[in-house]
Amino acid sequence: MAIKSIQHNQHTFDISYEIVNPDAKVDLIVLHGWGSNKNLMKQTFSPYMDAFRHIYIDLPGFGNSTCSGALNTADVARIVELFMIHINASKDIIVGHSFGGKVALLLDPKVLVLVASAGIYTPKPLKVKAKIAIFKIFKFFGFSKLRSLFVADDAKKLNEHMYQTFKNVVNEDFADEFSKYNGKALLCWGDKDTATPLSSAKMIDSLIKDSVLEVYNGDHYFFMKNAQDVSKKIEATFLKTLEH
Amino acid sequence: MKLTILFGGASFEHEISIVSAITLKEKLSGFDLNFIFCDNDHTFYLIDSSKMKATTFSKGEHKKMPQLTLKNGAFAQKGMFASKEYNDVVLNLIHGGDGEDGTVAALLDFFSIKYIGPRVDASTFSYDKRYTKWLCEAKDVKSVKYEILRANEHKNITIPFPMIIKPASLGSSIGVSIVKDESQLDYALDCAFEYDANVIVEPFLKGVKEYNLAGYMADDKIHFSIVEEPQKEEFLDFEKKYMDFSRSEQVLKADISEELVLRLKTTFERVYRGMFEGALIRCDFFVVNNEVYLNEINPIPGSMANYLFEDFKSSIEALSSSLPDSKGVKVTYDYIHSISSAKGK
Repeated sequence: MAIKSIQHNQHTFDISYEIVNPDAKVDLIVLHGWGSNKNLMKQTFSPYMDAFRHIYIDLPGFGNSTCSGALNTADVARIVELFMIHINASKDIIVGHSFGGKVALLLDPKVLVLVASAGIYTPKPLKVKAKIAIFKIFKFFGFSKLRSLFVADDAKKLNEHMYQTFKNVVNEDFADEFSKYNGKALLCWGDKDTATPLSSAKMIDSLIKDSVLEVYNGDHYFFMKNAQDVSKKIEATFLKTLEH
Repeated sequence: MKLTILFGGASFEHEISIVSAITLKEKLSGFDLNFIFCDNDHTFYLIDSSKMKATTFSKGEHKKMPQLTLKNGAFAQKGMFASKEYNDVVLNLIHGGDGEDGTVAALLDFFSIKYIGPRVDASTFSYDKRYTKWLCEAKDVKSVKYEILRANEHKNITIPFPMIIKPASLGSSIGVSIVKDESQLDYALDCAFEYDANVIVEPFLKGVKEYNLAGYMADDKIHFSIVEEPQKEEFLDFEKKYMDFSRSEQVLKADISEELVLRLKTTFERVYRGMFEGALIRCDFFVVNNEVYLNEINPIPGSMANYLFEDFKSSIEALSSSLPDSKGVKVTYDYIHSISSAKGK
């Protein structure tokens, strides 16, 4: 593991990262999802794809990276971009899971690998809308302490900056950004995903010009059990970019 | 013999300490052992000997075991009516931060608990590799030339490639890299600075021989282990060293001349005397062109370097009966009395 300090909007972010296959010439940047960290991604993908220099990054506020201000996805992408400049990494292949998928998209790599990516807005179910409305009434009457009963699992235990960041990123819709992406995209999805449903994958597939959708048996974390196959697909997708 | 093994700690080497403690449980079979675990929030737990398994800690089962506090002369377990005391000699087996940086030494001294392990000054000079270099200079012991880098400070390294980069204050090869050329330097520095704000740069010596020698003082005599030549490819990384800790078979004696053994022992003694009394330490030496260099001092070696001693149990027994006395201070109030009487009150 290693740490690099990045300056962004007058704040310092210590970004923790790890490099595997340091001498390989093609860069593979791997970004984890919300609430996760680089170790999960490293455990999954480091045994494969030896021809690439793997760069595993803890996004600001996760794992061993710090976050000293509320961010939106574009800020996170900018921080990752600045970090990449520091370590002299190129945007050959960027893999993003869930929230990391949105960050990967904004980085505009040559090969974009979206693994159960977020970015398509799905309206909140009535249950969630009701929870928010009820809590707002409670808050009005001074019962803010009951917050933990209402807050999403992903947002519990978050500090103030990260909670604000969570609220900033959770409702973003990146349909426009997906349609503007001009590189090669590989979409890998679990058919039983409830966090980022397969319908989002189909939507993204239709928005991106040059994309392939691979559907696996599994949930939001299907890739952990299918790492070898996903890795092969990533290699094949990259090889296609070398054909003319 | 009764002995309390203190392990864990808020340290990057927390898990290694657990492995060390489990190994010692086996190596000191026959001793009447207590196990006290220091969690990374500094809570002490009394661990049931039958639960001394790595998973006890990784699963958090220790949190259900009795908590201990410190009082003068002992660890104490508060009961409903009376408290139970554990006042045996403590073996400080916390590697890295807390254990080797002097924190635990100060804590045990403060509470007048007898312990095997480095005292505060010995910890200071062995924990931070910068101070080890200074100690070498003061004690006229050779060490490899070095440069110090600080985080957020721009400084050119004058040592040529290949070089070795290490955090100033960590053992077990954590954050250590060998840098062969410029392209690897940046990542190596980021790795080292993750663990410490100070980094040591040394030339990576090719063809160097490495020898480890452990020892302790009992009855005013230094008792040495055998000299080990560690098996290594280029150098031990964290995983290899980790495996190294748990090894239990006795290692082979290094095949070196009596004359070199004697020089290693003399250098060891020069480092040890007047500073490391009470501790069983392992010194790691380099030998280049027939010159002995001190590489580092491990004041709490992994599993107490048990594999280097022919009779490890007797060694621990001898050491525990030769622990330095802490000089208690007697407060007599003579001075205040004399003033008071002078004033006629």
